[in-house]
Amino acid sequence: MHDTVCLVHYMSHGTENDGLLENLRLELRRGCLVLAVLAELRTEQYGYTLRKGLADRGLAVDEGTLYPLLRRLESQGLLASEWREEDKRNKRFYKISRDGKLVLKQLLVEWQGIGLSLEEILKESDHGSR
Amino acid sequence: MDLVNRYLQAVKFWLPNKQKQDIIAELSEDIRSQIEDRETELGRKLNESEIAAILKQRGRPVLVANRFLPQEHLIGPVLFPIYIFVLKIVTAFYLVPWVLVWIGITVSRAAHSGQSLIGSIGSFWTSFWPMAFFMVGSVTTVFAILERVQAKSGFLEKWDPRKLPPVRDPNRIPRTNSVVEVVANLVFCIWLIGGMWYQTVLHFSGVTITLSPTWRYFFWGFLALAIANMVASELNLFRPYWTWVRAIIRLVSDCVGSVLFCWLMKANIVASISVANVAPEKTAQIAHAINWWSAKMFPVAAVACVIIALVDAYRIFRVRSRALHPAVVLNAATGAH
Repeated sequence: MHDTVCLVHYMSHGTENDGLLENLRLELRRGCLVLAVLAELRTEQYGYTLRKGLADRGLAVDEGTLYPLLRRLESQGLLASEWREEDKRNKRFYKISRDGKLVLKQLLVEWQGIGLSLEEILKESDHGSR
Repeated sequence: MDLVNRYLQAVKFWLPNKQKQDIIAELSEDIRSQIEDRETELGRKLNESEIAAILKQRGRPVLVANRFLPQEHLIGPVLFPIYIFVLKIVTAFYLVPWVLVWIGITVSRAAHSGQSLIGSIGSFWTSFWPMAFFMVGSVTTVFAILERVQAKSGFLEKWDPRKLPPVRDPNRIPRTNSVVEVVANLVFCIWLIGGMWYQTVLHFSGVTITLSPTWRYFFWGFLALAIANMVASELNLFRPYWTWVRAIIRLVSDCVGSVLFCWLMKANIVASISVANVAPEKTAQIAHAINWWSAKMFPVAAVACVIIALVDAYRIFRVRSRALHPAVVLNAATGAH
């Protein structure tokens, strides 16, 4: 664990490594984002509130990533959307579809599996480094 | 809100026609919601520079639009490494030799006719770039077509690990190469000794070629070189791995051969030619033409010799670096192969 801390500490100080860390962080978050969006959209929301909701829970995502993702998930049949008027403005509301719910369930199982595996690997690494 | 409308218009320009309205409506709603939220926070309307800051943070219109477009590529990730490999081959075996030959010809021309360097560079510029663009463009076009075909047929997906080539050791000398070298050198020696044994006058069905007296130097030089090469090739036949010493010997022998060959081209080696029923003035012209063309080809020969020497030098480097490679050292220490 000490090694990991040192590595993160070292990387957070190098300008060059800042970029690398940021890229790795984005890569790591990309997969999780689909899961988070599907989970959030179990309750119907429009784009802006979804983005705020994710940010409030510590998963800030820029609009340039979120909206194309929503369109992709909708074209894959995992989300459904409809334009509706709210507060005198037209907004597009998204909700998870039936297929989306099934996929979310499977992805959550996968996610938990990855979490457990990673925990196991890190535990072994900690034992090894002592 | 004029700034927001201008921003949306700029994004809209880059979007596909079918989705333009839909995406812009959603994006507009998102920007307006963000502005409203900020205004509620501050308790006042945002000024132009604050709105500009929000838009700037969202990114350039073309980039924002690009994220909504499908991912497109001219040459995809499956073919891209092969594309780069082919470009490297084209560069190494066509463009680089072209430049080297050009340098050789320019240097020779400058020495003989005194053509200015700037004029030469100008002519290089006008002939090299169109040719290079054409070569790279052709390769790119072929791969772009292959990419489309590959995407439809998926022919690159069909492969069999059992059909992969065997593991290649770059330091192993193929036995066939050694056999060919031994036979070629043997034939050359027999021809030299049998046909050119210390003579400078050659007769071929009515044609008599008289070589210049300097031929004797070439005769002994080429004979010694051919015998040395034959011995080295025989050694390679029985111990088919490049060693550092053998690689150096090959470099030296190729350098000696190159010097001899280049010298031969400039040596006006044909002294005279006589053919039955042909006027001596005519045959003298032929002899002169042979010597002249031979001398003219000197830059090409020099470039070829430099390439051979570079290949030989690289072989030495490869043998040395492989010998010092940690995996090889480790394998040698543990006895693994």
